[in-house]
Amino acid sequence: MFDVAVIGAGVMGCSTALFLARAGMKVVLLDRGAICREASGVNAGTLTMQMTRAALIPYALRAHEMWLRMPEWCDGGHVLATACPGLSVAFTEHEAAMLEERAHFRRQAGAPIELVTPARAREIEPGLSERVIAAGHCPIDGFTSAYLTGRAFRPALLNAGVELREDCAVQGIAPGFVLETAAGTVQAKRIVLAGGVWLQDMAAWLRVTLPIKVLINQLVVTERMAPVMRTVLGVASGLLSLKQYANGSVLIGGGWQGIGDRARGGLAVKPESFLGNVRLAAHAVPALRDARVLRAWLGLEAETADALPAIGPIPGIDDAWIIGSVHSGYTSGPYLGKLLAQAICGQAPELPLFPIDRLLAQEKAA
Amino acid sequence: MIAGMDVIAEHDRMKDVAHPLRIAGISRPADVTFSFAGTSLSAPEGENLAAALIACGIRRLGEGQDAARPRAALCMMGVCQQCLLRVDGRLVQACLVPVRAGMVVTAT
Amino acid sequence: MSYDIAVLGGGPAGMAAATEAAQRGARVVLLEESAAPGGQVYRAPPSGFIGPVDADRRAGDALRAALLASGAELRTGCRVWGVGGGPLVPQREPAAPFRLDALDSDGRSFAMEARALVLCCGTHERIIAFPGWTLPGVLGLAAATILLKAHGVLPGRRVVVAGAGPLLYAVAAKLLKAGAEVAAVVDLAHRTEWLRALPRLAARPDLLAQGLAWRATLVARGVRVIAGAGVTAARGDEVLQAVQVEGAWIACDALCIGHGLVPATEATRTFRAAHRYAPAEGGWVPVLDADQRCSVPLLYTAGDGAGVRGAAAAPASGRVAALAALHDLGLLPDHAAARVAPARDLARAAKAGGAMARMMALRPALVRAIPPETIVCRCEGVTRAEIEAACADGAADMNQMKQFTRCGMGPCQGRICGETAAELVGMHCGGREKAGFATGRLPLRPVPMDALLGEFDYADIPVPKPAPI
Ligand SMILES: Cc1cc2nc3c(=O)[nH]c(=O)nc-3n(C[C@H](O)[C@H](O)[C@H](O)COP(=O)(O)OP(=O)(O)OC[C@H]3O[C@@H](n4cnc5c(N)ncnc54)[C@H](O)[C@@H]3O)c2cc1C
Ligand SMILES: Cc1cc2nc3c(=O)[nH]c(=O)nc-3n(C[C@H](O)[C@H](O)[C@H](O)COP(=O)(O)OP(=O)(O)OC[C@H]3O[C@@H](n4cnc5c(N)ncnc54)[C@H](O)[C@@H]3O)c2cc1C
Ligand code: FES
Repeated sequence: MFDVAVIGAGVMGCSTALFLARAGMKVVLLDRGAICREASGVNAGTLTMQMTRAALIPYALRAHEMWLRMPEWCDGGHVLATACPGLSVAFTEHEAAMLEERAHFRRQAGAPIELVTPARAREIEPGLSERVIAAGHCPIDGFTSAYLTGRAFRPALLNAGVELREDCAVQGIAPGFVLETAAGTVQAKRIVLAGGVWLQDMAAWLRVTLPIKVLINQLVVTERMAPVMRTVLGVASGLLSLKQYANGSVLIGGGWQGIGDRARGGLAVKPESFLGNVRLAAHAVPALRDARVLRAWLGLEAETADALPAIGPIPGIDDAWIIGSVHSGYTSGPYLGKLLAQAICGQAPELPLFPIDRLLAQEKAA
Repeated sequence: MIAGMDVIAEHDRMKDVAHPLRIAGISRPADVTFSFAGTSLSAPEGENLAAALIACGIRRLGEGQDAARPRAALCMMGVCQQCLLRVDGRLVQACLVPVRAGMVVTAT
Repeated sequence: MSYDIAVLGGGPAGMAAATEAAQRGARVVLLEESAAPGGQVYRAPPSGFIGPVDADRRAGDALRAALLASGAELRTGCRVWGVGGGPLVPQREPAAPFRLDALDSDGRSFAMEARALVLCCGTHERIIAFPGWTLPGVLGLAAATILLKAHGVLPGRRVVVAGAGPLLYAVAAKLLKAGAEVAAVVDLAHRTEWLRALPRLAARPDLLAQGLAWRATLVARGVRVIAGAGVTAARGDEVLQAVQVEGAWIACDALCIGHGLVPATEATRTFRAAHRYAPAEGGWVPVLDADQRCSVPLLYTAGDGAGVRGAAAAPASGRVAALAALHDLGLLPDHAAARVAPARDLARAAKAGGAMARMMALRPALVRAIPPETIVCRCEGVTRAEIEAACADGAADMNQMKQFTRCGMGPCQGRICGETAAELVGMHCGGREKAGFATGRLPLRPVPMDALLGEFDYADIPVPKPAPI
């Protein structure tokens, strides 16, 4: 009998499991595949304040710090986190207005974003196009190599005594928190659902209806090239995220949608999204024209009806918890897992959770 | 000295003199000149660029961005990407393009 | 542009498939990256290069002539970087026509659609890593056939030819004939292995005779053939100077080395077709029925990309695939009769081809012998030790190993290192089947951004609606 079973080993499940185990609980962490091979291992790794929803900024700022100091709290595990300035740019008057409005809300939420002139923006980012007419600058930004996330968490989880079961899909939950898997049952006093886009299916095991929308996010990476940029770059609408890694490769993202679903995963890029995304990138950093595109892939991101997170107790079921559906959830992930662990251990979390009562109420009303 | 090493030494002296690596008995178009990393070279017009460089005694294709340096043509069929060069400023795989008069070939 | 059948790859399989389909009245397009169709065996020399005409040249010319006469549309110099459509559609939508995205010879991007798609993408070479294999002067064995046959250039003056399979003797004989010195032929196979293959080769007396002629040339010229051995290291400052075989160093300025051929499955993997691990056929191959149909409707694979069976089997399998596609599209009334001849040719050619493919199957002992500090992935500089460290850290399949190390993330996308890396992962996780393969993704080949982007107006970029604040 485990104290807690955490289902889903993405960044949410891993950080929750780690902090629960560190607090003295006996934890089992199950994933149907390998650790951090879904959203948490294939995302763009941007640690950004300018794309995060304003309500999440206080969390994101704390998590940003955690990523940069990951080796200290994760037994040396790291994701090559790099701090750098972030720029969000506008090419049209309409976008400039959007930029101003969004910067305002995020500033209020605590992100140190200032509007700068195009000339100043190009000082910060010499690779930037001449076509930019306004920019938001946030000195706290950065990025990671998200593909390292599983490798970074794994040793720390094992050191903390977490029992990690990969390739072990949970098929259902019988009363008394008996988890059914192909390899037999696992019982725990408490459960945490951390299933990314599959949270909807997991909630259904408990007869809870929680609609989760699936976004099929596309990413494109270039071959290594000489340095062309040194910031994390986005556009006012949030539909571009662009950065160059130390090894010279440039990652192009921003949430353009491809083809896929929960059952089949991220299946294929849409030609128009692929082209649109890379054109937008080259419009922002013209030197990208010189690159070669190596690979495009897709990952699944979860979104609730109000696009705010689902983190907290599951109403009506004692000792059942949920965590996920966080916009820019990679950025905030480690901190949110820590918060939920605090709540599960009976402490008051440092910052409020995002209970799902609101989403279930909406569902009942509908 | 390793047995046979003298043969190689002799070849290194020969390489600027003629094109000892081009197989005889094939009729080829007339030579054109092009440059590689600033050096002027000649090869029959239309000859595969990777092959032409090998024939000119050049096998080291530059340092590139990748970790295993220097690079050299490995697969000759467009797969390994080790022959990546710039031709007139554009990135190309040398094993997939022909030699043209006046082309300027540089490392990536 | 819309077709009944698109054929990807203009080797013998693709040429025959396109010819067969077009002759029977279908609207067919053939896409090929090289300037002329021919593929790896029958690669046409550059225009204006006129050399002696040999059997391969004649066979290639015959396939090319039939293709040109067939009415199939030929798009050469055209690099296909995108495949899509078919099953790759949103949930609950019916299968779409296949879509191909390509760059033409001027570097412009274009797209086309087809109701059925025949993949004839051939193979690439397997070269298992060894110390010094990244030195300039080390070249693939199949690569050497291209250099010698199509381009008429020697890889060096004093050459060691090493690895496995019939190409060893073909390359060595060709080198001698062209005036190079062959310092040694180093064959992983023992003589007994060749003797065991003989009965199956007897199905193709022409090939057998050719093989014996190659060996006779070597004997006559006194070339040292070291059987049951491999190259264990290469060295030189800046360029290759010597290779190590059975503990001794052999001086050379070129090493042509190949350990077999691997079917090119990037397109079938992209379509999520079912695959199986068949080491005797070159590795992972798409699951096919007797008519070259993949598990994905209206998708077919032929030639060595469907499993290595050699040049003679390739056109026959191309024709079988084309006939199945015509039948499935309702364009061929009497499929049963039409397939008899090509299916018989295929069975016959596959017998000898299969025996050769088995000689070229991956030899796990080579992988086990790689020293820890040897680079396996050239593009990313990943060593055997790093791959094994990732396995020790819990990477239990190719995709996770790739994430943990970057092995296979570079420009070749694992085509060169993949076989070695998969074997290493398999040693730790319980075999190649468990190790699996990297997910297929676009582009199929690196695409220059400039060509992809073209000229555009910012206002025309279809930027989606922004997320809420
Ligand atoms: C392409 C892409 C780019 C992104 N870019 C960024 C970015 O730049 N910055 C940022 O902050 N955020 C980004 N995000 C968002 C971020 O990746 C996600 O919010 C975050 O990783 C979600 O973590 P998670 O643990 O909730 O979900 P996941 O990582 O998806 O983990 C859920 C886990 O549950 C497991 N699971 C599912 N069903 C079962 C079952 N039945 N039994 C057991 N286990 C099961 C899955 O296998 C999976 O491992 C991006 C997302 C995507 C897809
Ligand atoms: C270098 C080399 C030499 C070989 N020599 C011999 C030999 O001497 N004898 C023998 O029996 N076998 C040989 N083989 C095996 C050989 O693969 C087959 O015998 C035969 O060529 C198979 O024919 P195919 O049509 O299946 O493929 P191939 O001949 O390989 O043709 C595939 C074609 O597809 C094209 N292609 C692939 N992907 C794309 C794309 N994305 N866009 C556009 N075009 C694309 C390629 O350019 C190529 O022309 C050799 C293999 C290689 C790699
Ligand atoms: S030599 Fe391999 S891609 Fe050119």
